[in-house]
Amino acid sequence: MIRLAFRNLFQNKIRLVISTGGVALALLLILALDAIFTGVEQRITAYIDYSGADIWVSQSDVFNMHMASSSLPDSVARKVKSVPGVASVSPIFYITNNVIAGDERNLAYIIGLPEKAKLGVPWNVTSGFSMPGEGEAVMDRGVAENSGIALGDKVEILGEEFEVVGLSEGTASMVNSVAFISQEDFESRRGSYDTISFLLVKVLEGEAPEAVADSIESRVRDVTAQTRVQFAGQERQVVRDMSTDLITIMNLIGFLIGLAVMALTVYTSTLSRRQEYGMLKALGARNSDLYLTVLTQAILSVSLGFFFGWAITWLLTVLIPFIGLSLTMVMNPVSLIKVGAVSIVLAAISAMIPIRQVAGLDPAMVFRGT
Amino acid sequence: MINSFKKALQISHVSKRYGTGTTEVTAVHDVSLSVSLGEIVLIMGPSGSGKTTLLSMLGALLKPTEGTIQLNGTTISALAENRLPDIRLKQFGFIFQDFNLLSALTALENVAIVSELAGAKSGEARRKAASLLTELGLGERLNFLPEKLSGGEKQRVAIARALVNNPTLILADEPTANLDSKIGHEIMRLLRGIAKEQGRSVVIVSHDQRIKDIADRVLWLEDGEFKETVTMAMDPVCGMSVERENAVCLEWEGENYYFCAKGCRDEFMSDPRKFIIVIS
Repeated sequence: MIRLAFRNLFQNKIRLVISTGGVALALLLILALDAIFTGVEQRITAYIDYSGADIWVSQSDVFNMHMASSSLPDSVARKVKSVPGVASVSPIFYITNNVIAGDERNLAYIIGLPEKAKLGVPWNVTSGFSMPGEGEAVMDRGVAENSGIALGDKVEILGEEFEVVGLSEGTASMVNSVAFISQEDFESRRGSYDTISFLLVKVLEGEAPEAVADSIESRVRDVTAQTRVQFAGQERQVVRDMSTDLITIMNLIGFLIGLAVMALTVYTSTLSRRQEYGMLKALGARNSDLYLTVLTQAILSVSLGFFFGWAITWLLTVLIPFIGLSLTMVMNPVSLIKVGAVSIVLAAISAMIPIRQVAGLDPAMVFRGT
Repeated sequence: MINSFKKALQISHVSKRYGTGTTEVTAVHDVSLSVSLGEIVLIMGPSGSGKTTLLSMLGALLKPTEGTIQLNGTTISALAENRLPDIRLKQFGFIFQDFNLLSALTALENVAIVSELAGAKSGEARRKAASLLTELGLGERLNFLPEKLSGGEKQRVAIARALVNNPTLILADEPTANLDSKIGHEIMRLLRGIAKEQGRSVVIVSHDQRIKDIADRVLWLEDGEFKETVTMAMDPVCGMSVERENAVCLEWEGENYYFCAKGCRDEFMSDPRKFIIVIS
């Protein structure tokens, strides 16, 4: 009966294209959205991931960067440095603002870097310098290109003009980018000279970052110390919390479209073979045999749709970097498992109505008309 | 020639009524019939005479309101609904007017699937199907889809499908209706072979008068009742099918022989053994 399902499915090529194409597009919607958000999550934590720090120290109860503000007295650096297990500390200055180039306004994490900073600096500068001096900025290459900015051009940051002296890679996401200026410029624009935003900590070799982070929190008052992984996780969680409703709605839309397409095609396919199913019942096929055929057909359709949906999404992840979008799509296994599970549910639900139809078939119909 | 008189199918006082009260319709009324192994029974009758209902009941597709239907001693009319598919699969072979082949499957697969439904492994089912189709002259068409087969070939596939589970009873619904006379005759010859050489009972419902030629008995169904029974015999000299009641009869060595005309009888009498050898 599985062979029959397979043959039924492939006999009508147009119906096959419509059903698998419809399901593929519906699942593509879910997969692509997941890939976009996974890409956003990865890019949004890129600065943290590539900071080189083992521990991020922030103001008490500040757990991430996005839509948050952290302010620590600069004396904290000395206190943290004295905690056992700490090898080095490096402050950074941070605010969310715009990089303005002509009419283009690009939301960015503005990072102020001390002159000889080793942690939290641009990690992949493809042209120009990596450390900005006074009146200089390093910005994302993609954002610069989209805004028509090249090395030596001027951009406005925090109300001041800066010369772009370096272009970095991997520092932009769909949400924002990262721009680097000097600590001096940052402090002068903020008007604050005795506070830092975050303290980036490198631990001694052989020391566990978790233990050192705990030690920092217990020895230094009013700070939150998290390992880099924990800090990045918190950052991703914020993005997730902000996008959960959107993803849920889009997933639901994708699911409903897929369900409608599948239900319609499995239903019409079964309806068109009503006589054949009736004949099989007359010959002695049990309802369970026929259910298996209908269900297998639905599962095969959805599996093909899933495969094509996955393939198109993968193709998009490969092609998008080449078309100059600041969008990054990353497919993750959890998303594939989720969409796989959704596909099985799709197949099962879409097969239910035709199965009821088959169950109600009177095998004596084969002799009608005699 | 197999000539067993063992009863394969026996139906006793079977009636089927649809609806109740003022809307009640009696489709079949108090019908009794026995079919022996190796016997071909042709049921004829006008539209609406109850042929479909009777055929459906004979094929365990419909339960009678009254009466019993026995196949090989098992009262199938009393069996629970969930036991009937297995009976239909293993005891019956169905042949339909429109062939009713699965359009997505090849000739081989159309036959094999019925064997697989009866529990045969895929390889075994395909071997049996291939062997049957080859016997029926379709050895070169095993992997053809129904749309690539002629009407006669389709009906031969349907016959192979009906035979694949080695059934006792073949039920054929207008098996020659969609075929030209030459192919129709070929199908009739095959059905006769199934009955006479393989010892299966064959019940045919048809309007096709030509089928009388291969039938042992012709039953006329009208208003849900058998009105007339004609027993057929084959003229051993010319091979024509003749109604016993109207034929020229001759008894020879304890057996009755029936002839279309005196000429055939006289020819038979000149050397009876010559014709008996031919038919046996």
